[in-house]
Amino acid sequence: MFLRILAKSISKRKGKIAIAVVAVIMGASVTTALLTVSLDVNEKMNYEFRKFGANLLVIPDSDTINIGIGQFGFGAVTEQKYINQSDLYKIKTIYWAKNVLGYAPFLYQAVTVETGNESNVAILTGTWFEKDTVLEDGTVFKTGVKTINSWWDVEGTWVDDNGTSQDAMIGANAAEKLGVGLGDVVTVSYSERPDDLENATYLELNIVGIISAGGPEDDQIFAKLDTAQELTNRPNMVHTVQVSALCTKCDVDEFAREIEEKINYVDARTVKQLANAEMSLLSKIEDMMLLVSTVALSASALGVGTTMTASVVERRKEIGLMKGMGAENGRIASLFLAEAGIMGVLGGILGYAVGLVLAYLIGLSVFASQVMPNLFVFPIAVGIGVGVALLSSLLPVRRATRVEPAVVLRGD
Amino acid sequence: MDGPIIRMQGISKLYKPDTWALRGVDLELEKGSWVTIMGPSGSGKTTLLNMIGCLDSPTSGSLLIDGTDVTKLGQKALASFRRENLGLVFQQYHMVPYLTALENVMLAQYYHSVVDEAGAVEALERVGLGHRLTHTPSQLSGGEQQRVCIARALVNDQEILLADEPTGNLDKKNGEIVLDLIKDLHDDDHTIVLITHNPEIATMGEVLVEFLDGQAVSFKQTSNRVGGG
Ligand SMILES: Nc1ncnc2c1ncn2[C@@H]1O[C@H](COP(=O)(O)OP(=O)(O)OP(=O)(O)O)[C@@H](O)[C@H]1O
Ligand SMILES: [Mg+2]
Repeated sequence: MFLRILAKSISKRKGKIAIAVVAVIMGASVTTALLTVSLDVNEKMNYEFRKFGANLLVIPDSDTINIGIGQFGFGAVTEQKYINQSDLYKIKTIYWAKNVLGYAPFLYQAVTVETGNESNVAILTGTWFEKDTVLEDGTVFKTGVKTINSWWDVEGTWVDDNGTSQDAMIGANAAEKLGVGLGDVVTVSYSERPDDLENATYLELNIVGIISAGGPEDDQIFAKLDTAQELTNRPNMVHTVQVSALCTKCDVDEFAREIEEKINYVDARTVKQLANAEMSLLSKIEDMMLLVSTVALSASALGVGTTMTASVVERRKEIGLMKGMGAENGRIASLFLAEAGIMGVLGGILGYAVGLVLAYLIGLSVFASQVMPNLFVFPIAVGIGVGVALLSSLLPVRRATRVEPAVVLRGD
Repeated sequence: MDGPIIRMQGISKLYKPDTWALRGVDLELEKGSWVTIMGPSGSGKTTLLNMIGCLDSPTSGSLLIDGTDVTKLGQKALASFRRENLGLVFQQYHMVPYLTALENVMLAQYYHSVVDEAGAVEALERVGLGHRLTHTPSQLSGGEQQRVCIARALVNDQEILLADEPTGNLDKKNGEIVLDLIKDLHDDDHTIVLITHNPEIATMGEVLVEFLDGQAVSFKQTSNRVGGG
């Protein structure tokens, strides 16, 4: 019977209830968006941290080339400076050398890629894959992107640094954009000045692997470092070095300091530092959204409260009648609270859906990443919807329980 | 007669700030009797019925219903007392607007004890509305709505029926139907307290109480006394 009363009273007052539900949606959606974005971005960052461990990015002093590690992009090119490839072994001479698991140099160049009769610009990245390098003491140290990024999802095979063929790998996004598949041969050309076709150097690359790394790597073409140096006429030069260091007892900042000492013209930054910019952006957005959430939830509460108050006033006679029939305050209250609860549940569910769209848009526009829905947020959204609806109904419900049953005997 | 079921002593009611709707009313009603209350508008009839119906509490005085001092009961106990003992019929036929006739009767069962659809249908058949079960108040005539209210008042078989001008808004024919239903209840030994402005109706009961200015000014035995006493 209770459910029957509830269902009928709601279905007779759809319009007003819809307004209250919309009010709940506002609050629940903003809160959902806030939680979804912050959980997603945090999770992605944690993922990066886990994958990279205590990682370092080494760049020439005061250089800001448009590069990054994983999710963390930063700055644009200002001045071309390089690290000498011949200095790289020094990374393995620091006090904590044993904790350096590997490193990989990177040389970036925008090149023209010919596929069929189309030409596109893409980043050609010269690097080591798993190269035999010789250390100070003459021992061989295998290192490269395969060592430090073993988690990369590779279709096909890694490039063999020590082989002679012009093998290359391509990021999944670039492969799709350029229409390149495994086993294809792509022609890249480079000239110091754009459109200077006469002095362009050409290179044919065999694509042996496709990389899905979930970062800027997915837009790049990876060739052997010497190949890239030769093509762009930059012998012995690299732009950046990524260092993978496993560190449990030591401080990563200490690594950075030592590397900067050994190679005195570089700047070594920890991934944490790199992530700081993004972290502080996230925390700013979180602050803002917390504020918006608070405002939106207050608006929700106001909306539901007003609707419920109007409903109680409008239904005074009905309440009096129920009391006249012997209904206790608890029963009257539970009817109104159940109505509020239903508004809360509906608002919470719809608010979650709207919030996911909001989160997606925020993710795209602020973090340039696709924010994934988080089911964990769903019960929270519904809980917040119900909570706000119930809380804001407390006063109106109190008012309902105070209706004198005598009102029914009196005309208006 | 089985002795007084309602015993009222010195009941006064002050509506703030300064309206004394009742001024020291003493009244004893026999169990199973039919008492009619008359009096000019504003003389306190509805206020009195509110007191007996436990819908409002007196400012002073004592009120015993079936041996219980209802002025001492709390909200919950009052609600429970109402549903056990009192059936109400009003001048404005109040129904829950979004429920059907049947559901309105079932609602009374729900608040009383348990919902029994067959019993509710029977109550509506008794008031001649077996064919109007699924109509909502807006689809019923005034007379039909008032009959639903009577079905609602009798479905739980409470001892006392309180009716405040139950025919006040009805035409003659519907009024007669309603009064016949009340008569049936009285024949079934229910205690009836009925307010009316209609002198014809006033003679239907056994006792006629006249009100003036918040006081019961005269008690008359009328001719219909059952049991020939
Ligand atoms: N809630 C209230 N607040 C203030 N005054 C009230 C209230 N209810 C009734 N009164 C006053 O109490 C007095 C008695 O009212 P009551 O409704 O009992 O009269 P009545 O005899 O039922 O009149 P009627 O025949 O018009 O229904 C009136 O003067 C009325 O104005
Ligand atoms: Mg009255």
